[in-house]
Amino acid sequence: MNHSYRVSRRSMGLGATALLATGGSVRAAPEGQLTFGLHVTLTPQWFDPADTAGIVTPYLFLYGLHDALLKAMPGGNLTPSLAKSWTVSGDGLRYEFVMRDGVRFHNGDAVTAEDAVFSFNRYRGTAAADMKDRVSSVGSPAPGIVRFQLKEPWPDFLTYYSNATGAGWVVPKRYIETVGEDGFRKAPIGAGPYRFVSFKPGVELTMDANEQYWRKSPSIRRIVLTGIPDEATRLAALRRGEIDIAYQITGELARSLQQISGFSVDAAVGSTPFWLYFPDQWDEKSPWHDVRVRRAAAYAIDYDGLNQAVTLGYSHLTGSIFPENFDFFKAQPKPVHDRAKAKQLLAEAGYPDGFDAGFFTCDNSFSSIGEIVLDGLVAAGIRAKLRPLERAAFFKGYGDRKFKDVVMAAAGALGNVPIRMQQFVVKGGTYAYGSYPEIDALFPLQATERDVAKRTALLHRMQDMVQERAMFAPIWQIAATVGIGPRVGNAGLGPIKGYPWAGPYEDLTLKAK
Amino acid sequence: MKQFIARRIGYSLLSLLLLSLTIFLFIRLTGDPASLLAEPGASAADIAAIQKKFGLDQPVWYQYIYFMGNLLRGDLGESFYYQTPVLELYLSRLPNSLLLASVAMSFSLLLGIPTGILAAVRVGRFWDTVGKFFALLGLSLPSFLVGLLLILFFSVYLEWLPSSGSGGFLNLLMPAFALGWYFAAAHMRLTRSSMLEVMGSEYIKLARLKGLPEFKVIAKHAFKNALIPVMTLAGINLINMINVAVVVETVFAWPGIGRLLYEGISFRDFPIVQGVVIIGGSMIVAVNLLVDIVYAFVDPRIRLEA
Repeated sequence: MNHSYRVSRRSMGLGATALLATGGSVRAAPEGQLTFGLHVTLTPQWFDPADTAGIVTPYLFLYGLHDALLKAMPGGNLTPSLAKSWTVSGDGLRYEFVMRDGVRFHNGDAVTAEDAVFSFNRYRGTAAADMKDRVSSVGSPAPGIVRFQLKEPWPDFLTYYSNATGAGWVVPKRYIETVGEDGFRKAPIGAGPYRFVSFKPGVELTMDANEQYWRKSPSIRRIVLTGIPDEATRLAALRRGEIDIAYQITGELARSLQQISGFSVDAAVGSTPFWLYFPDQWDEKSPWHDVRVRRAAAYAIDYDGLNQAVTLGYSHLTGSIFPENFDFFKAQPKPVHDRAKAKQLLAEAGYPDGFDAGFFTCDNSFSSIGEIVLDGLVAAGIRAKLRPLERAAFFKGYGDRKFKDVVMAAAGALGNVPIRMQQFVVKGGTYAYGSYPEIDALFPLQATERDVAKRTALLHRMQDMVQERAMFAPIWQIAATVGIGPRVGNAGLGPIKGYPWAGPYEDLTLKAK
Repeated sequence: MKQFIARRIGYSLLSLLLLSLTIFLFIRLTGDPASLLAEPGASAADIAAIQKKFGLDQPVWYQYIYFMGNLLRGDLGESFYYQTPVLELYLSRLPNSLLLASVAMSFSLLLGIPTGILAAVRVGRFWDTVGKFFALLGLSLPSFLVGLLLILFFSVYLEWLPSSGSGGFLNLLMPAFALGWYFAAAHMRLTRSSMLEVMGSEYIKLARLKGLPEFKVIAKHAFKNALIPVMTLAGINLINMINVAVVVETVFAWPGIGRLLYEGISFRDFPIVQGVVIIGGSMIVAVNLLVDIVYAFVDPRIRLEA
């Protein structure tokens, strides 16, 4: 028995409605230029879906230059794009995608099922080996059909194929075979709403509108993404009109921008929760072994103060280490700052005068956030010393289980709740210093459960158990605050859930002159 | 003379060899670039694949021999991050750095030398104090602060100059000032001390005794001789400006070699860091070699002592 997913039909219906809303007629030709000031250094690696790392940054470029069979869109995490629909066989072993007709790459070649198969086989980014190990064959049994045959049922296949990796983003087979990998890196061709014009390594990417884009023709003719590493310089460039949208304008700088007529600050909440982790909670001699101490730490954090100070209140206090936009997420109570309660819990745990808590270790990119969090802990009596580490050293130390005391961590990798749980919660997880057998026992059950309702119930129960044990003290799901200039109409922040950049690009607009 | 030149060339090559070994080993002490190139939480297999791709799974001595073999063929390797040959990246940024360094150097000399002369001829008086204060300010104010203040004043408040990037003459003014400011102070100090030394020499006293006007004594006799060490320093500083203007280029988003070096360090992109340091080091060694040879030609005592 085959299941045809309703979302695809609904989405098609929405597409038709959108077409009607635009008048169903010829749209005006794209006009103007929108310039983004980025905080990151641009690398051509991000222009090739095959090299996609499990972080959100490359999608900033993929959403412009390329397109995927399914991808996260305003309609949901698995919105049909180059595939107009898909089916799953009753045994959960076969996935078939029906390609959208008439879609072309920027060089005019048709987007075919062979291209999708080629792109999957060529994919070498995050989790490539794991994905390919689970797929017994991929091919195109008929024109316009892509078929995956799995070795065993894998309920997370679609999440991996569409969101957690770049394997489902389609590149032109014929073009790559003609120009080679180097040629493709220098002049990438895709099927996205914008086509590659030029790239200065580390400095600037220029893209022009693909008026033939299947979803809609973009309204802005040219988009330029330029790297300006310094935040104050980005703000100055925005104020002078050299750029239209400045990413990562935070705290006081963002507040100052709000005061200027014509400019605004908006935000998109990405898929990056922050939390405190207590590596010693499984050590009976450690104060952190007592759940009351871990709860005290959670009560000690001034969530609203932090949120206002850094992200102007835009971040979401979800009380969870799992992003709220992930499939199977269960909302937890909003965390509360209550210093008296923290002190009371510490006293009940045998620490009426607090205790020396060793190191508070964090990634140095977030040390300013760490300082605010640590201030709260110290004020409640949890006296730790800030130890910011360079990012690679932090993740290496975290993964090698070298840390003790308190760790402030964050994760922005894409996926869903079980994928995140596998890394941070259950036994054997890359960043799990210990685990709870009752949670571990449920993990393999959900991994093979194909009934979505039952799987959801299992994963919700597991999230509650993480919460009850105060395994972590979740801080927030951070918002990316963005400065917006006076020329921008629709900045596209927020429609794609969990996506911290402007998008979809074809929906962005400039104000009429 | 031939023996002197051959020995100097030998020392230069030895310096470059030591430089290559030092930078090669030191950059590797910063940690494994694979952990930065992979996403947080990447599996051991993913990290191992990255290490293999860039040859980081080989023993360090093997990596060094491989690196030196390529270097001797003029190949600086391929950037991990940009996946582009380092030489290509370097050459693409070089015109921007040359432009910035030339303007910054002109500014620093135009400001530093007259101030230094003024301070020397008015030693212990008002202008000397002003000059010393200027030198103190120039050497102690960090260039990122100077840069941000310039942006705030000239871009944001006055709206005269673009805040960042390259492209036009106006884009160049603030980064050149911020970069040249520090060096102007250094040049001022050296000009002052050099002028003071020359002004105390016998031939200056003789020139004065002959009744030459003070302006002529300073401009014709003292200044020319005092300029030699300043020009030598300026030559070395120019190379530094080209290769290590890291902070200024980052603050102003100027696409030069300093920013490339910053990116290389940030991403542990070993080939970029090695390439920039070795090219910059080679320039300094070459300039020093040239200066040594010229000195030896001019002053026979140097080559005889050597």
